Amino acid sequence: MRFAAELGGETVFIEVTEESGRYRVDVGGEALEVDAREVGEGVWSLVVGGASHLVAVSDREGRSAVDVDGESYGIHVEEETRYIVRARGDQGATGAQVLRAPMPGKVVLIEVEAGQPVAAGDGLVVLEAMKMENEFRAQRAGRVREIRVSAGQTVNAGDVLVVIE
Amino acid sequence: MAPLFAKVLIANRGEIAVRIIRTCRELGIASAAVYSEADRESLHVLLADEAVLLGPAPAAESYLAIERIIAAARASGADAVHPGYGFLAENARLAEACAGAGLVFIGPPPAAIRSMGDKMAARRVALQMKVPVVPGTEHPLRDDAEAARAAAEIGYPIMIKAARGGGGKGMRLVRAPGELAGALRTARSEAGAAFGDAAVYVERYVEEPRHIEIQVLADGHGGIVHLGERECSIQRRHQKLVEESPSPFLDADLRRRMGEAACRVAAAAGYVNAGTVEFLVDRDRRFYFLEMNTRLQVEHPVTELVTGRDLVKEQLRIAAGEKLGFAQDDVVRHGWAIECRINAEDPAAGFIPSPGRIASLRPASGPWVRDDSGVYGGYTIPRFYDTLMAKLIVWAPDRDTAVARMARALAEYQVVGVTTTIPLLRRIMGHEDFIAGRLSTHFLDRLVESDRPPAAGRRRAVALAAAAIAAYERVGRTVPAASSATGSAWRRVVWPGWRQR
Repeated sequence: MRFAAELGGETVFIEVTEESGRYRVDVGGEALEVDAREVGEGVWSLVVGGASHLVAVSDREGRSAVDVDGESYGIHVEEETRYIVRARGDQGATGAQVLRAPMPGKVVLIEVEAGQPVAAGDGLVVLEAMKMENEFRAQRAGRVREIRVSAGQTVNAGDVLVVIE
Repeated sequence: MAPLFAKVLIANRGEIAVRIIRTCRELGIASAAVYSEADRESLHVLLADEAVLLGPAPAAESYLAIERIIAAARASGADAVHPGYGFLAENARLAEACAGAGLVFIGPPPAAIRSMGDKMAARRVALQMKVPVVPGTEHPLRDDAEAARAAAEIGYPIMIKAARGGGGKGMRLVRAPGELAGALRTARSEAGAAFGDAAVYVERYVEEPRHIEIQVLADGHGGIVHLGERECSIQRRHQKLVEESPSPFLDADLRRRMGEAACRVAAAAGYVNAGTVEFLVDRDRRFYFLEMNTRLQVEHPVTELVTGRDLVKEQLRIAAGEKLGFAQDDVVRHGWAIECRINAEDPAAGFIPSPGRIASLRPASGPWVRDDSGVYGGYTIPRFYDTLMAKLIVWAPDRDTAVARMARALAEYQVVGVTTTIPLLRRIMGHEDFIAGRLSTHFLDRLVESDRPPAAGRRRAVALAAAAIAAYERVGRTVPAASSATGSAWRRVVWPGWRQR
């Protein structure tokens, strides 16, 4: 099975073939013979050419946080066919930034108005969650197209807060 | 010997409730946990001898509801109440309500909580005791105009602080007059939400400060000692992340002078029980009284490991009316201890909380490693409370060995399912400034801002292989075995939505 993996802005193509519990993994042209066992939910023991690695793989929002011997990597893995379909679809994207609430909370402050130009790093919304106020900032310059919430409002994870174009 | 108390009700949750249960059990004292509807499966409920439901998940209806805590203590037949830290730990009304109900409050007298809990009253006590304070206003600000005048007088940069503050809430740094109005607004709103009192004051901002605090123990018979310092300079948004004892910055003379100053402030406040006096120390080793925390601190374990004294046990002994039984000269400090806070937060996304289910948990262990945890594998971290999951503490004879030991323990510590501060803590332990003991409260701002080193080499290939194998197995499990390998695009696999950031 072929996968496309994104790590640090780079896409790596990986092919996994399995035979009776042993895996042959081609990572961007590098062939690895891997004896992999899931020893706990999301915890893997990988023996690769005699080297033993303990690896934790957590899935969050479509990305895998992969922890190898005390080093952490954020990897987005998907099947190659899906990657190809998605890469084609993206070419028509508008480039709008959609700020969504990453978790449930209360909107404390809205720092911008609709129509206002913003620079990268400008504060947009302050959301209170788990006893802390968290400020969300513009990822890049643009103009505020829409504000979907008001101060004092309770929001759920995934709710759209602000749209920047 | 009879136990100090028959039963202690612990008016808290999470790791600190677990910590208190452990000492109670060692002393033959029964423990009664309290819990909200969101905490039925929390570790403190599982480990306590008894458990009493307080009410719904919001803290205001459970862990902050004094009358419910008192009712729970009465229902369980407890003779004492330990407040832990946070929630009602520094609330004089809980201490008074305990006294009114015939319960021993394991903490300082209400008057001491009030005088030290009011940050400006505490500053006045320090000044009376000839302990230096950071220049600032001596009363809450009436309005923005007064704030602007005071800030101009003190000189920018200034710090806005909540009069009843703590934990970094209601604090804002203001570098220029133009930022003042906005900072006042957010500080007041945070202070009002967190403490029910929106009053704020301003202080001069000390550049490159170190945050160093002194642990004090005072009994009800006039006995008072300090147990040395804790260095707490590694902070994110004014919340501590790494603490150690001793501080690499203090020598014996400065430690003695800060310890004596801390004892003078505590004695003047009529303080009894365990408390912490916080100082800022500037580049020139001048120290300024910051505030006194009238509770057990989150980071108390580092003091326990270097002094060999169980602070919860000392709190229980003092509350039961015993004398300290030792003097300042009997406090012997040995070796070096470091604590790292493992929080369910994403440091890469501005420390946004990441509650959720912990799929797997493999804590560190081994020589001189202590894991003060409030969670377990399979547990779901509720979104209603703070993000602290566990405190990892190590001891070693010297600082270099302690740093290496902490790095080893952090490499072992694995949490699957929620994002934690562990990767950031590993980077801190490997950072040349931390290793060299060059610390300031700005350390973390610079570390978070600096780019991560590019992932390379063998571990990168192993990480990619593991992610792909996990994906391969996940896809395989959701598909009937008969389906062919070429049909992958049509399999009914639920992929989490991808969105542009």
